Amino acid sequence: MTTSTKQMNHGAFEYTSPTRQRTMGVVFLLIAVMVFGFFSRGLDTSLVTTFRMSPGGSDVVAPDWIIPSSIVINILGFICAALGAYQLVRGFKNWTNLVLGLVAAFFVFSFLTWAAAEQSLNLAGLINSSLIKAVPLTLGAMSGILCERSGVVNIAIEGMMLSGAFVATLVGSLTNIWIGLLAAVIFSGLLGLLHAVLSIKYKADQIISGTMINILATGMTSFFSAKFLQKYQQLNNPGRFPTWDIPGLSKIPFIGPILFSNNMFVYAMFVFIVVLTIALYYTRWGLRLRAVGEHPKAADTLGINVYRTRYVAVVMGGMMAGFGGAYFTLGSVGRFDEVMTAGRGFISLAAMIFGNFVPAGAFAAGTLFGFSDALASKLAILKVPIPSEFLLMAPYLVTMIVLAGVVGRTQVPAADGVPYEKE
Amino acid sequence: MYKKLSVILAALLVFSMLLTACAPKPEAPAVEEAPAAEEAPAAEEAPAVEEAPAVEAVKICQVTDVGGVDDESFNATAWKGIEDAIADFGIEGKYLESQQQTDYEKNLNAFVEEGCDLIISVGFLLADATAAAAEANPDQNYATIDVDWLDFSNLRGSGFAINEATFLNGYLAAGMTETGIVGTYVGIAFPATTVFMDGFVLGVRHYNEVHGTDVKVLGWDYEKQDGLQVGNFESLDDGRAMGESLMDEGADIIMPVAGPVGAGTLAVMEERGTGWLIGVDNDWSLAYEAQADFVLASAMKNMDKFVYETSKSVQDGAFEAGTWIGTLENGGVGIQLGATMADKIPAELKAELEELEAAIIAGEIVTK
Repeated sequence: MTTSTKQMNHGAFEYTSPTRQRTMGVVFLLIAVMVFGFFSRGLDTSLVTTFRMSPGGSDVVAPDWIIPSSIVINILGFICAALGAYQLVRGFKNWTNLVLGLVAAFFVFSFLTWAAAEQSLNLAGLINSSLIKAVPLTLGAMSGILCERSGVVNIAIEGMMLSGAFVATLVGSLTNIWIGLLAAVIFSGLLGLLHAVLSIKYKADQIISGTMINILATGMTSFFSAKFLQKYQQLNNPGRFPTWDIPGLSKIPFIGPILFSNNMFVYAMFVFIVVLTIALYYTRWGLRLRAVGEHPKAADTLGINVYRTRYVAVVMGGMMAGFGGAYFTLGSVGRFDEVMTAGRGFISLAAMIFGNFVPAGAFAAGTLFGFSDALASKLAILKVPIPSEFLLMAPYLVTMIVLAGVVGRTQVPAADGVPYEKE
Repeated sequence: MYKKLSVILAALLVFSMLLTACAPKPEAPAVEEAPAAEEAPAAEEAPAVEEAPAVEAVKICQVTDVGGVDDESFNATAWKGIEDAIADFGIEGKYLESQQQTDYEKNLNAFVEEGCDLIISVGFLLADATAAAAEANPDQNYATIDVDWLDFSNLRGSGFAINEATFLNGYLAAGMTETGIVGTYVGIAFPATTVFMDGFVLGVRHYNEVHGTDVKVLGWDYEKQDGLQVGNFESLDDGRAMGESLMDEGADIIMPVAGPVGAGTLAVMEERGTGWLIGVDNDWSLAYEAQADFVLASAMKNMDKFVYETSKSVQDGAFEAGTWIGTLENGGVGIQLGATMADKIPAELKAELEELEAAIIAGEIVTK
C-alpha cells in the first residue's frame, strides 16, 4: 500500500531506497536458506507429497496433484536464491513487493510440501477455509472503514456483530432466515445510530461509547440467550443459508468448488467490496465522506453537512457489522451460543487498519489471517513438530510480520476520532 | 447539553452492566421445592414401615452454577440424581439456582440455615465457594461435582475416569468409520480435556489390534500429548472450520472436546449430509435433537449416579468424606449410543463393546 502511494507521489520516478533493496535481497536469500536448511535437508528423495484438489463435500472432483517432495522444494529454494541474488545486484525496483509476495508464496508452498511429505493435504479445502474465515473479518472491517473514513472511531464492531448474530437467530427462528438477516441489519444499524448520537451529537469519547456498546451487547445477548434460546431450542434453530452453486462456473475443477460453490455471505462480501470501493472513490457521496473524515472544517466550509454525513456513515457501518454478525449464525452454524463471535470484531478492526482503510485491503488482510488460521489447523492435523500453542499464534504472528515488513505505516483519516464542533 | 449527555451515558452504562450482571435470569433466587417432592410420600409408604427409623425425610439440597437446573448438562443430570433418590427412598430435594458468581456463597449459606443434610454444589466454578463453606461449617456435609481436589472431613468430591468412556467411543468409531480415518480436537488442552482424547486414541488402537485394521486418528498425538486446538471454548464458527478441516483430510467420525464449539462441527456434518459426531459429557443426540442423525454416540459423565449414591449414604447415616471417581464399573461414566443409531450400528460391534466394557472393568485393558 505504501509503495503505491509513493509511486503516486513520485510519479515516474522509481522509488526503492538502496537500504530497502539490500534488505529485501538479504530477506530473499534468508528464505532460500531456510527452505534448504529446514525443509530440504534430511528429506528422503523418494518421498512424494499428495495435494488433494477438491474440498470435501463437493461433487466436482479434480485429480490429486502428486509431486516429488524433495525435488520441488529444491527447485523453489533455488528460485528464491536466484531472486535474492538479482535483488542484491540489480534490484527489482517497483516490482520488489510483488517479488516478495512470490518468495513468500514459494516459502509457504515448500513448507506445505515438506509438512505433507509422505502424507496428503487437501489444498482446495485449505484455500476454501481461508476464504470463508475471511468473510466475517472483511465484513466487520468494512463496517469500520465506513465509520472511520467519516471520522468516527468504531471499536464496537464486536458488539454489533454479536448482537447481529443473536437477533438473526431469534428472528430467523420465529420467521425465516431472510427476515432474520434483515432484523440483524436493522438492529445493528440502531446500535450504530446510538454510537453516532453519542459520539457526534454529544461528542462523547468514541472509545468509551464503543466500549459501552460492546458491554451492552455481551450482557444483553448472554442474558436473553440463557433465558430463552438455550431453554427453548426451537427459538435457536433458524437454519442456514444453503450453498449456492453458480451455474457453469462451479463445475470448474479446483477453482469452482472454492470460489463458486459457497453460501450467500461469500458472494455478498465480494459484492460489498466492489460496491463500497466504487462508492468511496468514484461517487460524490464517497468524496464527501472522505473529506469529512480528513478535514471536516474544510468540508463544512464547502457546504457539506458534516453531521449528516457522519450519521449516515456510522449507521451504515452498524448495518454492515450486523450483516457480518448474521454470518456466524445464519451462514455458519445455524445456532447462537454465548459470546460466540469470540473477538472476531476486534480482529476485523485490526484487518481494517492492516488493510489501510480500503475495502480490498481489508479483504486481503482478512484472507491472510484466515489462511494462517486454516494453515495452523492443517499443520496440527499433519503432526508437524511444532507445539500447537505456537500454531495458535500463527495468524497473529503473520499479521504482525506483514504489517511491520510490507505494509509499513498505514494512513489513518486525519480527523479520525475527533468530534466536529461547528462554530 | 453536557448534563444531558452524562445522564444518558450514565443510564446506559448502568443498564448495560445490569444486563451483564444478571446474565441468565432476572428473578431473585428463590428456593424452589422439588415438584417431585409431593410424589415422595407415595413412594415412601411401602418401605418406610419396614425400614423403621421413622425420622423425618433427609433433606438434600443442590446449588447449581449459572447454567441453571434445566441446562441439559451437569446441573440437570445432578438434579436427576436427586429426583431418582426422591422416587426411590423418599428424601426431600431442593435446589437453588445461582444467577451469577456472587450467588454461590449466598446460596450455599442459605442451605446451611435451611438445615440441609447434604449440600451438593455443581461444577468446578463453585469449588472455591464450597471449600470456604465446608471449612466454615464443619458439621455440615457437602458434596461437589467434577471437583475432586478438595480435602475436608465433611466433603465428598467427585471426578470421572472419562478415558474409560472415550476408549469405548474410540473403539466404536474405529468400527464404524468408512474412510479409515477418525478425528478429534480440543478447545484448550489441559489435563482434564486431553484425557478424553487419550482414551479415544487408545480405543482406536485397540480396535486396530483386535481387527488388524489401520484406522488413523487425526488431531491428537498420544505420544507427544499434542494436537489440534481451537484456542477457546466459545467460537462455534471455529468448530465448523475444525470440522471442515478434519473432514477434508478424510475423517468421517469426529469427537470434539470443546463444549459448545462442537456444535459447529455438527453443523458442517448436517450441511454436507455425511459424517458422525461423538458427543462428550452428556447425550448430544438429546441436547442437539434436530441433528441427532449425525450423533453416533456420546461419552457420558453420569453425575446422577454420584448424587444418588451420596444421597443414599446420607439417608443411611453412612456419609463418607473423600473422593468418588466415576468409572465404567460404578456407572459413573459410560457410552451412550445416539438416539437414532440403534439399527445403524451392527450387532457384532455392540456385542464387542459390551465385552470390552467388561474387560475394562476387570482391569484387563489399560485406557490411559
